[in-house]
Amino acid sequence: MKLLFPILIVCASLLGGCATTNQRVLDSGGETQLQKRSYQSRIFETADKEKVLRAIISTLQDLGFVIERADLMLGSVSGTKLDGHQIKITVSVRSKGNDRMLVRANAQFNITPVEDPKQYQDFFVSLEKSLFLTAHAGE
Amino acid sequence: MKKLPILLVAFLFTGCVTIPPNTFVVTPELLQQRRFETRRYDTIKEADLITASANVLQDLGFNLENSETKLGVLTASKQRDATDGGEVAAAIIVALLGGGAMAISKDQTIRVSLVVRPVNDSNGKAMTDSHFVRVSFQRLVRRTDNSVLAQTLREPQLYQDFYERVSKSVFLEAQKI
Repeated sequence: MKLLFPILIVCASLLGGCATTNQRVLDSGGETQLQKRSYQSRIFETADKEKVLRAIISTLQDLGFVIERADLMLGSVSGTKLDGHQIKITVSVRSKGNDRMLVRANAQFNITPVEDPKQYQDFFVSLEKSLFLTAHAGE
Repeated sequence: MKKLPILLVAFLFTGCVTIPPNTFVVTPELLQQRRFETRRYDTIKEADLITASANVLQDLGFNLENSETKLGVLTASKQRDATDGGEVAAAIIVALLGGGAMAISKDQTIRVSLVVRPVNDSNGKAMTDSHFVRVSFQRLVRRTDNSVLAQTLREPQLYQDFYERVSKSVFLEAQKI
């Protein structure tokens, strides 16, 4: 029973570690914007926005996502995967110069952001196969 | 007693579930799933096919949530009762055996996304009158204890039945009925 007090203190301190709402709204997981963008983006050698968006939709469906939202003008697609857990992803496309497209993805798993570059790399490899194009890392 | 703090800390850590590896890798199982979920329709324009599909979703009582016809995307959902006779019977038996109230399914939200895309010909050019339709269903089941079960529906029969309805609708669309 002597240990009960220290345990309570440990638990309280763990709770105290939780960030406030403001920090949650603007959190970016200790990485700089540049780091995040570099592993979340790839460049494809095509100027066809619609083709890239349709390939993104196909890839997400292949990966078991249900497409929630898509917008050709904005160049964005969002999807959700439910499999005991929930994964949400938003992929956006914008033109870079006259003949290239920049594709960017960001995902969240349940209530945490996906920050493992390997997951994004896997996504872009799947997208490459669907587009028959090789992705390049950003400049 | 001394082990208690260790147990407690271990418990706190198991609360953190991480994303499964290979979440974004297309596996053979997923390709199999693609086969069930996809059908090809010939001699129909994309606009007509998406209209026919939207009509089927309405036939099934889905409410359209979102659409981007330029990309061939439709999203719809419906809320329904999820009470399952078997589950209720099991809960009654558990209660009779003194196991207390067991949580059972209460209601569910079924979501569907339907995507129409053109078939590419041998030169890689999109054909104007041949298209693939791909549909995927998910559901979120709420239980009596307010826990939520999230799942993707994978029964091939479900998809087969759905496409029978789409085929009928495509026929009706073609006849302008």
